[in-house]
Amino acid sequence: MHPTKSGRWITQTVSSTYLSEAVAIWLRDLRSEFRTRYAVNSILMFALTTLVAVSFSIGSFRIEESERPFLYAVLLWIILVFSALSGLSRSFVKEQEAGTMDILKLSARPQAVFLGKLFFNLTMLAVLELIIVPAFILLMGYKIIFPGCFVAMMVTGGLGLGAGTTLVAAMIAQANARGALFSALSFPLLLPLIITAIKGSERAAYGISAAGWPEVKIAAAYAVIMITVSLLLFPLIWEE
Amino acid sequence: MIYKILLTIWMNLIIAAVFLYVEPAAGFPGEVSRILFFHVPTAWVATLAFLLSMIASSVYLITRKVNADFLAQSSAELGFLFCFLATVTGSIFAKATWGSFWNWDPRQTSIVMLLMIYGAYFVLRSAVPDHEKRRMFAGVYSILAFCTVPFLVFVVPRITTSLHPEDTLNPANPGMDIKTLIFFLGSLCAYTGLFVWMLRLKVRMLRIMDREQRAFRSNF
Repeated sequence: MHPTKSGRWITQTVSSTYLSEAVAIWLRDLRSEFRTRYAVNSILMFALTTLVAVSFSIGSFRIEESERPFLYAVLLWIILVFSALSGLSRSFVKEQEAGTMDILKLSARPQAVFLGKLFFNLTMLAVLELIIVPAFILLMGYKIIFPGCFVAMMVTGGLGLGAGTTLVAAMIAQANARGALFSALSFPLLLPLIITAIKGSERAAYGISAAGWPEVKIAAAYAVIMITVSLLLFPLIWEE
Repeated sequence: MIYKILLTIWMNLIIAAVFLYVEPAAGFPGEVSRILFFHVPTAWVATLAFLLSMIASSVYLITRKVNADFLAQSSAELGFLFCFLATVTGSIFAKATWGSFWNWDPRQTSIVMLLMIYGAYFVLRSAVPDHEKRRMFAGVYSILAFCTVPFLVFVVPRITTSLHPEDTLNPANPGMDIKTLIFFLGSLCAYTGLFVWMLRLKVRMLRIMDREQRAFRSNF
């Protein structure tokens, strides 16, 4: 506090913005994740195991050339979605298990908590995709005609995955039977996104003109809507 | 009581009439078009119930009145029942006209999605022990799920084309003759009446159960 010229005292508060709180939570989660590597290990091991199983049983020549764009898109997204579902709930479940939920409730505003957890989940998904997608392309001989469209589909699809599951993770952290519940609750919400992402990846691998862009837009719209609705609903399930 | 008796008479009249009085629609093999009087009303009631459940959930989240949650829960359960009936009747119609019980027609895809969403809704309800939290989560989940429905409407038709009859059996279309239309609307009213009756029973049941539980707990 310091006096102004008129002699009155004004209070100067250090106001933190939503974004700075969210970034603080994100960095803290990243640091704790870096120490234990629990979520990232479980997601990556799940993904690698399924990738190896798929690649071993199908290989790069078993499927006919004309069938590849569609079937490879299906396989890739099944691997991505189910590995994401196996680990993304950690972001909230670990708070519950460590007993830090209440302190988190006190120290940041609900929307900031949601954004921080969303950033963390998106980071996990980025790591997952950066490792699994190139490995899948190499192992399966996946020919992509339009790399730009394909990359955009992966980015928006990942955004949608994170956006659709973060609020569900916050709910199941406070419920019983967490592991099974997370997949059961997330899957119906993600189905429109998965259908879109499969279609978009298939079209990016086709020889016709890049027809996958509408799918990219749909996935982006899905992500934006889910994030907006989650931001509105999150305070309801966070505060008591 | 009087409501129940009237409803019984009305439904029996409609059922008898659609089999004995109304002629089957042209363009469909044999008697299959009569499914119109049973399939469409169940689908309509399912839609109505899910919409009502969503609205009641929102009301609960705003006002925190327990009655709104009872309404949301009962409505979702009945909607699930009617949605299941619509799936089964639609599947029988699909076998009779398209040759297979299930072929992932866009209509079938979206109805399965609905069943999955509300299946998950009940799983969530049963997994949260705390009453207050359970109601809150159920409301939040049903709103979240409702937001994904528009995507199904736009996304699924992009994948495949539908074989579902729209024009020949659409009541807004003049292709339906007046006798069929009257009994179709009669059947729609009957099913809606049945839904309202079941809904009131279910809400009453939940309210009594809640009161009993509270009384039981206050004994200790």
